[in-house]
Amino acid sequence: MSQEFGTYVKAVMERAADEAQRAGAAAIEAEHLLLAMAAEPESTTRRLLDSAGLDHRAIRDALDEEFRRSLSAAGVIVDDRELPPPSRSPRRPSRIGASGKLVLERGVAAVAHKKDLRPAHLLLGVLRLNAGTVPRALALAGVDRNDLTARVRRSLPGEAGQR
Amino acid sequence: MSGIEVPATADSAEALASVVALRRLADRLEDAAVEQAMRAGWTWSDVAEALGITRQAVHKKHAKRLIAAGVELPRRR
Repeated sequence: MSQEFGTYVKAVMERAADEAQRAGAAAIEAEHLLLAMAAEPESTTRRLLDSAGLDHRAIRDALDEEFRRSLSAAGVIVDDRELPPPSRSPRRPSRIGASGKLVLERGVAAVAHKKDLRPAHLLLGVLRLNAGTVPRALALAGVDRNDLTARVRRSLPGEAGQR
Repeated sequence: MSGIEVPATADSAEALASVVALRRLADRLEDAAVEQAMRAGWTWSDVAEALGITRQAVHKKHAKRLIAAGVELPRRR
């Protein structure tokens, strides 16, 4: 594993734990990782997210919209002004949830050799999620996942050796 | 059920996403309702009975959060 990747993942996990705590979640999930990546100063991944219009605010809005739409599919119409805000977890979660694990696994699985891992592989892990809250939110934000995946790949060195 | 009409959806992704969103909504409503009850002076036992869960479960899930929110809580017995 490259030191750069290790340092990046650690920083993103720290930030993601804050995001999870703020959302009242018990574990760090994919959406918290994505929000953390959008707030992390590391330049390549941030630039790639920005190029798809995904700053922290836009991701937050897309996640809110996904929540509203999924509720309305079940016949529940919510008005944000009436809904109680999520209550902050008393403890900062340290556990990584199922969707968070998938992000890490799929990001790491994108390279043949762990030494080739770069920060942007974590974003690749997010883009490789096929179902659930995050891919639905990205679709609502108008993100073309294939196009962004291709751009992430082009930003990575040694593209030929990638799986 | 009240006036909520549950539309049939043929889309599995949508149906599953609804389940996730409803659970999240229920959690948010539970947090708010328990806080409101405890601020109004309910006991842990009454809240537990109303939710249909044990007093231990409701205490474990909510006590730390309510203390952090500055809610004055009754002693546990």
